[in-house]
Amino acid sequence: MTDTHYPALGDIDAIQQAFESAGYICTTRIATVVRLAAALEKPVLIEGPPGVGKTELAKTCAMVVDRPLVRLQCYEGLDESKALYEWKYGKQLLYTQLLKEQLGDVLDGAKGLNESMSRLHQFSDVFYSEDFLESRPLLKALEAENGGVLLIDEIDKADFEFESLLLEVLSDFQVSIPELGTIHAQSKPLVFLTSNDTRDLSDALKRRCLHLHIPFPSVELEARIVASRVPDLAQSMTDQLVRFVHAIRSLDLKKAPAISETVDWAKSLVLLHARDLDGPLVQDTLNVLLKYEEDIQIAEGQLPKLLAAAAG
Amino acid sequence: MAGVRDRATPAATSSDQLLAFVQYLRGKKIPVSPADTLDAIEVAELMGYENRSLLKNGLAAALAKSRHELTVFEAAFDDYFQPTPERPAANAKNHSDEADALPPPGTPEQAGLAEANDDLLEGLRGNALFDALESQDESALSVAIETAAVEAKVEEISLFTQRGQYVRKILDALGDEALREAAIEFEQSEPAAFEAVQALREQLRERVRDRVERAYLIHAAAATEDLLDESLSKLKLGNIDHSQMARLKRLMDRMARKLAARHGRRRRRYRRGKLHVGETVRRAISTDGIPFHPRWRKVERKRPQIMAICDVSGSVAAYAKFLLMFLYALQDVLPRTRSFAFSAALGEVSDLFASLPVEQAIELVNLKYGGATDYGRALQDFSELALAEVNRATTVIILGDARNNQADLRVDLLAELKARSKKVIWLNPESTRLWGTGDSEMLVVKRHCHVAKECNNLNQLERIIDKLLSDRR
Repeated sequence: MTDTHYPALGDIDAIQQAFESAGYICTTRIATVVRLAAALEKPVLIEGPPGVGKTELAKTCAMVVDRPLVRLQCYEGLDESKALYEWKYGKQLLYTQLLKEQLGDVLDGAKGLNESMSRLHQFSDVFYSEDFLESRPLLKALEAENGGVLLIDEIDKADFEFESLLLEVLSDFQVSIPELGTIHAQSKPLVFLTSNDTRDLSDALKRRCLHLHIPFPSVELEARIVASRVPDLAQSMTDQLVRFVHAIRSLDLKKAPAISETVDWAKSLVLLHARDLDGPLVQDTLNVLLKYEEDIQIAEGQLPKLLAAAAG
Repeated sequence: MAGVRDRATPAATSSDQLLAFVQYLRGKKIPVSPADTLDAIEVAELMGYENRSLLKNGLAAALAKSRHELTVFEAAFDDYFQPTPERPAANAKNHSDEADALPPPGTPEQAGLAEANDDLLEGLRGNALFDALESQDESALSVAIETAAVEAKVEEISLFTQRGQYVRKILDALGDEALREAAIEFEQSEPAAFEAVQALREQLRERVRDRVERAYLIHAAAATEDLLDESLSKLKLGNIDHSQMARLKRLMDRMARKLAARHGRRRRRYRRGKLHVGETVRRAISTDGIPFHPRWRKVERKRPQIMAICDVSGSVAAYAKFLLMFLYALQDVLPRTRSFAFSAALGEVSDLFASLPVEQAIELVNLKYGGATDYGRALQDFSELALAEVNRATTVIILGDARNNQADLRVDLLAELKARSKKVIWLNPESTRLWGTGDSEMLVVKRHCHVAKECNNLNQLERIIDKLLSDRR
């Protein structure tokens, strides 16, 4: 039952430790899903607000299993020629032009149209062979010899039709190319899809995936994350900072600060040699945490309350 | 052992229980397909049943497919797999090989009674239900009750008063009959045995009652909501009470979301169209006629536009409000909606609606454009204001009762509108039977519109807008 490709992902505690040493603090739930993904050979659909480490999870996973990461960034208008494969049209044309001269040799001595045709038929598949096939991320991930990690980022940004295209890859780990036939995965890659929930994904796609929803972390977890990412920041400062961020998230904001913003803020505080989280310091650096002017104004209005919350 | 259920029973029962849990989830409106169920079984095998939170996390990954479903799932899991209090201690002992020979657990008094009547009860042994009750076999009991509940179709419960009926049905399906007969038999002759059997039956009844009440809470509570929603969407919008506005708003948002999801998808298309032969050949000239740089046509996107002209006078105002609310709830799918309001004079109110909540905007509009209805003037104003921008991609929706106080309605302007636009839709809150009576000009108006429809409740409104969106391409 246990997958032999990714021995590093055989045990939940081991996963948590391995991820932690790679700089990613994960909850038991995340570790469980990763373990299941490896064992059941199913893709994982990760949902959650921006900046909670969805993409990071896939990257870390690639690091832990020590396999290449193939990343496909989705956007509106993404189609199979960008995601799956494309024929190298220019190369095909160039070769036909170059080989024009050879045509005489091939057809030399052929009698009549029929014989010429049957001779040409022997070469007809040359131009639609793997030499002329440009692999795009999805195909690349399937071709990888020892498996790998495939990250399909922000699938909700892609068109609805693109989801259908993914189904074959995700459920059977294969791609059908009309001219070549079906290409199967050498060894199945670990697949992660991320979604920011800007639209509903199709049931067909959801059905094929394991689901992982990553919410904003708890105070303790976030403090651990900040501590591991920004070890130079004093422990007391980290705690204050994380409590402050949690207080800010409870405000009605256009965009609540995510983990990545907390980490950025922690880094800038280290650069500023800050020793204590006080009013002026927060006011000066709030733009690291909040990305909209309105949000900053709201937060500044509530500053005393937020600082009180930070002090615990 | 913090097991899901303490049990010594092997995997067969576990997966049975998992199946029952899947049933339970479906009752909670989480759609679980057979394939999901297979996944869940595989997950459970991997995770094992010993560690509760491990199993929960694993099953969540396979069964809950959105954040909403995740919350429902977590609550359902905790409900369903609650660790059974007290009983397991006695239970564990009982699962030893001589389980049948040991006196049944439970209260000491009960145990004593049962011991005394061991011989009498011997006749009942072998009856699966009795054995399960006597040995307090949690998993066997819950599976049996769950199966019986499914058989009795307990999920169809819709009224509080039906509980007794369903308890009876489930008990029958469980095979309570045999126990009852035994009890009747013992009643005269063997009071102690009678007591023992009755106590077990009462326990069973208690469990079944719990199950039925749970089913009522899950299914009937939802059914009641559905019923309210349904009746509300059939109610004339003009008659809707203020107290129901919140529910109506929610209902409307849901309808709008549904429509947006259904039609928003189709709007997106691949940008690349067919091969542009002419341009490709022209470009190939520089490469000796070899088409190195193919050129593709772009797929043009139509930019549909809706112009809504609403009568906001008196009785029609309520309907105008709902139409506008609906149109603005669909802003994602219909980004360029423009709205105009009139009763005497007409003015554009798009900005008002874009910036203010609908209720406030309507009040302001009433204040600004209120007065005696004059369709003639309104159409004239509209022609001056926006007729130049009406083209073949424009759908004009006019909402009004077409009662013009005997004045000229300026049908000529309406005819011109019809000629220029893609569609003119006239929505009339009055019933079709009243069209043309009194000062209603509806029969004349009807001839100069592409579509004229009665529209006075949410269902009709939804259907009209749905049609509008599907015709849009």
